[in-house]
Amino acid sequence: MTLEREWMRGAAPLAVLTLLERREMYGYEMVESLERESGGVLAMGQSTVYPLLYSLEGRGHVKAVCRSAPTGRRRKYYQITPQGRTWLESQRSQWRKLVEAMGLLGVSDRAVVR
Amino acid sequence: MTSGRTPGLPPEIEKVVREVLESADLNSVDGVEEVAGELRAHFEDGLAAGTPVDELIARFGDPVVAGARIARTRPKAAARNRGKRGGWWRSPSEWLNEVVGATRRLARAPGFVFIVVLTLALGVGVNTGIFTVLNAVVLRELPYPESDRLVRLYESDVEDPTRLWFLRAPIVAEYRNWDQVFDGLGSIYTYREAGADLTDGDQPQRVTVVRVSAGYFEALGIAPARGRTFTEDESFGPGENVSSALPIDRVAMVSNRLWTDHFGGDQDIVGSTIRLDGSAFEVVGVMPHGFNSPFGPKADVWVPQDLRPGGGNRFGNWYLSVVARLRSGLTLEAAQERVEVLAAGFGEAQPEAAGSFPRLVPLQADVVGTTRQTMLWILATAAGLVLLTACVNVANLLFARGLARNRDLALRSALGAGRGRLVAGVLMENGLLALGGGVAGMALGWLGVRALLLLAPEALPMAAEIELGGTVLGFALAVTLTTLLVFGLAPALHLSRITPAEVLRSGDRTSTGGRTAKRLRDGMVVVQVAAALVLVAGSMLLARSFDRLLDVPLGVDPEGVLTYEVHLPGARYEDGAARHRFHEELHDRVAALPGVEIVGATSWLPVNGRYHTWSFYWDPENPDGSNGDAWYLTDVRIVAGNYFGAMGIELLQGQSPEDVDLEGEPMAWVNRYLADAVFDGEAVGRQIWLAGEVRRIMGIVEDIPHDTRGALSRKSYVPHAQHADERNWALIQTVKARGDLTHLRERIRGEIRAMDPQLVLYRPQSFEDLLGRARAQDRFATVLMATFAVLALVLSLVGTYGVLAGSVAGRTREIGIRMALGADHGTVRAMVLRYAAGLMVPGVALGLLGAWVAGRWIEALLFGVEPADPAALGMTVLAFVGVGLFSGWLPAVRATRVDPVQTLRSE
Repeated sequence: MTLEREWMRGAAPLAVLTLLERREMYGYEMVESLERESGGVLAMGQSTVYPLLYSLEGRGHVKAVCRSAPTGRRRKYYQITPQGRTWLESQRSQWRKLVEAMGLLGVSDRAVVR
Repeated sequence: MTSGRTPGLPPEIEKVVREVLESADLNSVDGVEEVAGELRAHFEDGLAAGTPVDELIARFGDPVVAGARIARTRPKAAARNRGKRGGWWRSPSEWLNEVVGATRRLARAPGFVFIVVLTLALGVGVNTGIFTVLNAVVLRELPYPESDRLVRLYESDVEDPTRLWFLRAPIVAEYRNWDQVFDGLGSIYTYREAGADLTDGDQPQRVTVVRVSAGYFEALGIAPARGRTFTEDESFGPGENVSSALPIDRVAMVSNRLWTDHFGGDQDIVGSTIRLDGSAFEVVGVMPHGFNSPFGPKADVWVPQDLRPGGGNRFGNWYLSVVARLRSGLTLEAAQERVEVLAAGFGEAQPEAAGSFPRLVPLQADVVGTTRQTMLWILATAAGLVLLTACVNVANLLFARGLARNRDLALRSALGAGRGRLVAGVLMENGLLALGGGVAGMALGWLGVRALLLLAPEALPMAAEIELGGTVLGFALAVTLTTLLVFGLAPALHLSRITPAEVLRSGDRTSTGGRTAKRLRDGMVVVQVAAALVLVAGSMLLARSFDRLLDVPLGVDPEGVLTYEVHLPGARYEDGAARHRFHEELHDRVAALPGVEIVGATSWLPVNGRYHTWSFYWDPENPDGSNGDAWYLTDVRIVAGNYFGAMGIELLQGQSPEDVDLEGEPMAWVNRYLADAVFDGEAVGRQIWLAGEVRRIMGIVEDIPHDTRGALSRKSYVPHAQHADERNWALIQTVKARGDLTHLRERIRGEIRAMDPQLVLYRPQSFEDLLGRARAQDRFATVLMATFAVLALVLSLVGTYGVLAGSVAGRTREIGIRMALGADHGTVRAMVLRYAAGLMVPGVALGLLGAWVAGRWIEALLFGVEPADPAALGMTVLAFVGVGLFSGWLPAVRATRVDPVQTLRSE
């Protein structure tokens, strides 16, 4: 099952930056990782991923470097920037607050209580 | 060129990529390439992971939506682009963007850049080189004020106005009074410069002394830097001339070079005394830096020419070269008309001047020579044709590259770049290429000029003036810019007319180019073949002409002949007897050296132009010289030792000078031409009045021409032993020897030093070298033309090959289908070769027409060959059939390798 568009719009940048926080990735890797590691929930159409990457790049949260991949082909690798990390931190804390609030409201099955 | 483009991607995927790009509305080519590259990479990875095409496309999502999203990520750039549209050219930064973009695009195609720059450099290089020479020799004015008013005077006769003579002193004395025609007139001693030993310093220095008359420097319009020039009295009187070798007053002018180098720029030089060959001369003036006579040798010292009547200054002695300045406002034609009227009047008053009139030749034309001028213009045209063939190749390359870039340009156009901006972008690239080609070409041209000067300094007068100046750089710039505009603009305009949608929809298929483009390229190749053929034909003609030239019988045996001069200072070798004794002793000493076979000397070497044209008288009925019809012109040579033997000149009749008693009656030898023309071959034993005496003709010798083209004239040989008193003859020694001439030269130097330590062995050279220099101009034209022809041939070969190969590549599908339908290899090959013939046949026909027209012009340079020489033209056509076959064969063979199955499957 995949998320509706509005949910996706909010979650996708966070997911992408989280993946990039671990290591740099090129487009296809990103698409594959998103699908695999989210159990298919975040399997975005690529028509979303690339514009998203460009948008993040435009905002300065990621930067792109062209390099040869181990296969020998030239690939565009995306890396998170320090600015991106700061932004990711703030988003994460907002995300947690949201999940917490939802839990308190009983939206989620298990409330997260500190 | 689109980086990251993978031809292997299935068309469905390419369609997706295209749709994304179309709706993305990117504002730069680079942006388009970046996104396209990444998307293609994405699909490649997907395919590599084994995902089926359909699934990949489905998982990608809607390409139009993706494009729209991408467009939203770059709103600011798009807005900026829209805002600037139309007025972009006002912004320097936009221009800078274009330059950077163009550089980046070119950097991605280094092979293309190399070939284009090299081709342009060749074209621009040969033109810069030839123009440099043309500019220095023909176009630039002579370095004298108002030089268009300067003329050289010759004497000519009413009967044959094409013959030109030097002038006689009494005639010069008359002409200088014609102030209704001339503002100034001066003469220079035509014959050998008197070398003299300047004996002021520790070491005697050999300097070149030239005799000029009063008024000479004034006619040229050059004032001395210091002191004065020569006065009227120093040339014209009062008194009688006794020996034209001695000036009236011992005064001299020195060149700036001698003044600075030898006298250290002595401020008190004027009024000081210098010693020339032991005689004291007072320095009266110094000429300015850089002054050179328009003709004659480069002088270190000038002394006044004694032009008073008497001695050699008689009506029978043509020996002066005259330069004059026309009155201001007088045209050459009007001046010529006036002098003819004046000369007719003078002829009535002075019978010995009757029938002679002056011929005025513009000094520039005289210095350069009409043949040489024609040669340089022909070579310049040839260089222009080389440039044309080079430009055709460059244009074809630009076209081919342009077609490959259709997509780029279509995208830029779709992204909102106007036609002007697209053209500007393409022109910017071409501009950079032209800049590279121009700079490389100028460097090549500069090197070429150095090479030309090494090849043939004798072929180019005023070689010292040849340099790369502002005019030349301007010319190179103009050539390069024209090339860029003419050959860059057409492809640029063609490209800018492309409809983006069409290109984007049709994928790669547009790269075969339109029908018009194809016709244009074919047409260019036809013109190129024609231009190259004209050059090759011209070169063949010149080569055959030069070959004929080498076959001209010279009547001499140049091998192993060393020539050199020894000048005897008049102060120490006062009379003819002393000078003759010296030459006798020198001959004996040299003849005794090992390896020496025969020793002789002459006043002028063969194949070296006309010289000492005097006249002799023969009329047994009226021996007093009263019969005006019995005077015959003849070139006189003073000879000593066994000159005929040393030069290998055959004695046809009579006795050799070696075998007669020169102490007896005055003698002469004549050439076969004179004997036949005047005596019907019965010359031996006749008595003629020649060189001041009645002389008996003792023998007839074989003709030797006075130029490399075999021109003959009547020649008489007078023994030095019998004519040494007349003047201090600067005899050229001729030594026939076996073995190393350089070694021999040093041995001779030793002998001369032993005889008189102050004498100098002057201008030693082998006669073969001298002969080579006499042919320098012909060799120069032949070698240059051949170089141009080879260049043009190679360029047209490349051009034809390029078009044929491009056509085969573009028609792979068609060829594949034909082969699938049963066409065999022979048919396919014939198809390509037919196309090649379609280019070559009209090219050759056009070229032959051009060669026929050019032949009339080149005729002036040819010797013994007709401009429509069937052999030369036949060989040329054969060469081009070869070029056609050669350039067509490879593409034809490649066409047969097309695999029909593969071709059709890829469809």
